[in-house]
Amino acid sequence: MKPLPPISRRNFLKLTATVAAGAALAGCAPKQSTNAPADTATTALKPTIPPSPTQATIGTTSAPPEPGPTESEPTEASPTAEPTPTNAPAYMAVAHGPDPAAITRAAVDALGGISSFVAAGYDVIIKPNICTGYHTPEYATTTNPTVVATLVSMCLEAGAERVRVMDYPFGGTAKSAYAISGITDAVEAAGGEMHVMSQAKYTQVEIPQGIDIRSVDIYPDVLEADLLINVPIAKSHDATRLTLGGKNLMGVILDRGMMHYNLGQRIADLTSLVQPELTVIDAVRILTAHGPTGGDLADVKQMDTVIASRDIVAADAYAATLFGLTGADIGYVQKSADMGLGTLDLSSINIQEINLG
Amino acid sequence: MNWAGWRRVRQAVQILAFAFYIYLIFGVVEQRVAPPLSNIFFRLDPLSALGGMLASRQWITGLALALITVGLTVIIGRVWCGWICPLGSLLEWISFRSARQRAKNISQKLRGVKYFLLATSLAAALFGSLSLLALDPIAIFTRTLTTSILPGLFYGINSIEKALYHLNFLTPALDTFEGLVRGTTLPVEQPAFAQSLAIGMLFAGLVALNLLAHRFWCRYLCPLGALLGLLSKVSLLRPVIGSACTGCSRCARVCKPGAINPDPQNIEVMPSECTLCLDCMASCKPDDIRFRMARKPAAGQDFDLSRRQALGALASGVAGVLLLNTDLRLRQDNPWRIRPPGVTNEEAFLSNCLRCSQCIKICPTTALQPALTEAGLGGLWSPLVVPRVGYCDYGCTACGQVCPSGAIPLLALEEKRQVVIGKASIDKDRCLPWASGIPCIVCEEMCPTPQKSIRLEEANLIDSSGNTVTVLRPSVLRDLCIGCGICEHHCPLEGVAAIRIYRASS
Repeated sequence: MKPLPPISRRNFLKLTATVAAGAALAGCAPKQSTNAPADTATTALKPTIPPSPTQATIGTTSAPPEPGPTESEPTEASPTAEPTPTNAPAYMAVAHGPDPAAITRAAVDALGGISSFVAAGYDVIIKPNICTGYHTPEYATTTNPTVVATLVSMCLEAGAERVRVMDYPFGGTAKSAYAISGITDAVEAAGGEMHVMSQAKYTQVEIPQGIDIRSVDIYPDVLEADLLINVPIAKSHDATRLTLGGKNLMGVILDRGMMHYNLGQRIADLTSLVQPELTVIDAVRILTAHGPTGGDLADVKQMDTVIASRDIVAADAYAATLFGLTGADIGYVQKSADMGLGTLDLSSINIQEINLG
Repeated sequence: MNWAGWRRVRQAVQILAFAFYIYLIFGVVEQRVAPPLSNIFFRLDPLSALGGMLASRQWITGLALALITVGLTVIIGRVWCGWICPLGSLLEWISFRSARQRAKNISQKLRGVKYFLLATSLAAALFGSLSLLALDPIAIFTRTLTTSILPGLFYGINSIEKALYHLNFLTPALDTFEGLVRGTTLPVEQPAFAQSLAIGMLFAGLVALNLLAHRFWCRYLCPLGALLGLLSKVSLLRPVIGSACTGCSRCARVCKPGAINPDPQNIEVMPSECTLCLDCMASCKPDDIRFRMARKPAAGQDFDLSRRQALGALASGVAGVLLLNTDLRLRQDNPWRIRPPGVTNEEAFLSNCLRCSQCIKICPTTALQPALTEAGLGGLWSPLVVPRVGYCDYGCTACGQVCPSGAIPLLALEEKRQVVIGKASIDKDRCLPWASGIPCIVCEEMCPTPQKSIRLEEANLIDSSGNTVTVLRPSVLRDLCIGCGICEHHCPLEGVAAIRIYRASS
């Protein structure tokens, strides 16, 4: 054996240089994060901004969505799938029925069909509420897995290239919460992927319309995706009375503690930044008390309802009525309406109620 | 197969055992269900088993696997040290050429230190203290990886990723990498531990001792090695130099642990120091070093403990226990000495906890932290719940699953949800709604108990600008609170939370 030192000087220097380069790169991280992501975010945001009621007319020209309820609903689905292309697309659709998959499809179809949201090759993110890893879906603490999986299937059928489902649980870890919620199994069976949000990726983004908060550390994919579908479950929540679409968006930011210093306005500010193109509220089962964590089946009420709208404020306002409240009772819904992010006036909009038995 | 072939087998087994150990360390990232075998190295460790059973005065079935190691040692010697022990393998691989020369200047007597440590540890265990099990090699390695090496590694990876995410063309590659490892191999939350630097430096020092002698720790200090060394003195098969010996003493020169007495008149392998690396057998020109049956115990060595030394070791163990138990810290009922779920009796816990750090490793929220002096010096590196750092996850039973000695009881999820580890208490002078009239109910929101252990009451009060505001003020329902600490963890107040978990008085 030759008496070589364990590491030659040259190799040592190479290694040092590599480490130094890595350190230098790491060192510039915090400075850049304030500037660079801001422009990427705003540019990415622009094409997708206004979910105005007029946008819905695109749906009229689109062909009837491919036979949505193929397997499950041969009889009931056809009467509801047909009115969609003939009538003007609804501003909001509320579907009732025992099959979560069928009502999800019916509600989205009534808005003009998934093809009015998804074009071929789209990168779609679905944001359910997977707040904790404590309970299975019957406890109504996390979004109904069938509702989420149905949306995944619909997006893929409409030609989406990739559908990712993500949340950042506050209780338990992402992987375990995804699994316990039943969403992992359902989504993966439907061909979507469960995505874990990595802290390394959060970037600071300005909120141009923000009233109380002007910037936030956010998971950038949510802003960059071609389509963001917000899929909250309707639950009681003592701070805000109800956790619905707006509250569900808190899952995409890093520091949620600071939100609580002025929760209603700050959620509205966040909503103005994220502006999901589609909000689908899962009210298959709702949690009427002890939310958002739940755990008592006595607090769960079977509603067999799904609400869908491009207007997050209107959807939240409607969902509030399921609890005997109005949108104005809920701070962040009112503040969002004040900012012009949607309408609270349910009498002024075209709501299509669909009953699937 | 010749000896050189067997030597390669040994190296392969070492690599496999090491890789398996590291795989298990990584296998528990973010998991609330422990992978099977996750604590297998501790369960095979006779020092942990003997210490744990002596101190807790009970048969611990989970640790009975150590009998396999004992059995192997009694048959053939310290096969654990040379073939399996991951710390031993690491120290073998980090080898310094200059150490060979330096080792000659180290007195053989120093080898007695490990026996002294063993005797002291076991004496202390007999009197109920497992503090010295912190020196178990598997515990040392696991603790260092858990609290020091891995968090540093994760931080480094995150920092590099953060920087690289600014290079847009790398984003797809980074996303792919993230998708593969995040939440499975790499944790979502960056772990942080008390004493990470100190524990890392102790480990670095232990490795640096290799500059003085090959596997310095194993030769001179390791109490587990000492225990196995004692057993090896009576092992059935021992490496014995046969009559064909030419007295060339090549075997003594190649023996890395220095287990062969080089005196040509009296050349012999000391079974207590031999780690079965097979180097001597492979190098013997007449090929006459073999495992041979032996009936009599091996001859004593200079460094074996004399009767006086042995008594001294026992006495120091006992004295140590007496002094540790009169530590003032144990008398002061430290309200933040919160133990993992299911632990009820502090004294019994300290007599049962192997200081192995497995629970600290698996806790998905890094709520479990190694104690420094919170439980007295005797509780060094035992696990504490520190809710501000991490909460006890309402859906998790992982610490009980990995605890090899049962110090943390194995509870079903429903049982664990009832277990009280502490009680929350609100500091009304700091709590936002109480003190400042700012609406905040995060503690109530987070509370996982089905009926909510925090009640909100509406109150009208005058805020700092003189306006009358209506806020919801939280108060703890003591009967319902289980002390999981998620309220303290998520309390948005800066610094110390306005709601804190205190040890539940039993």
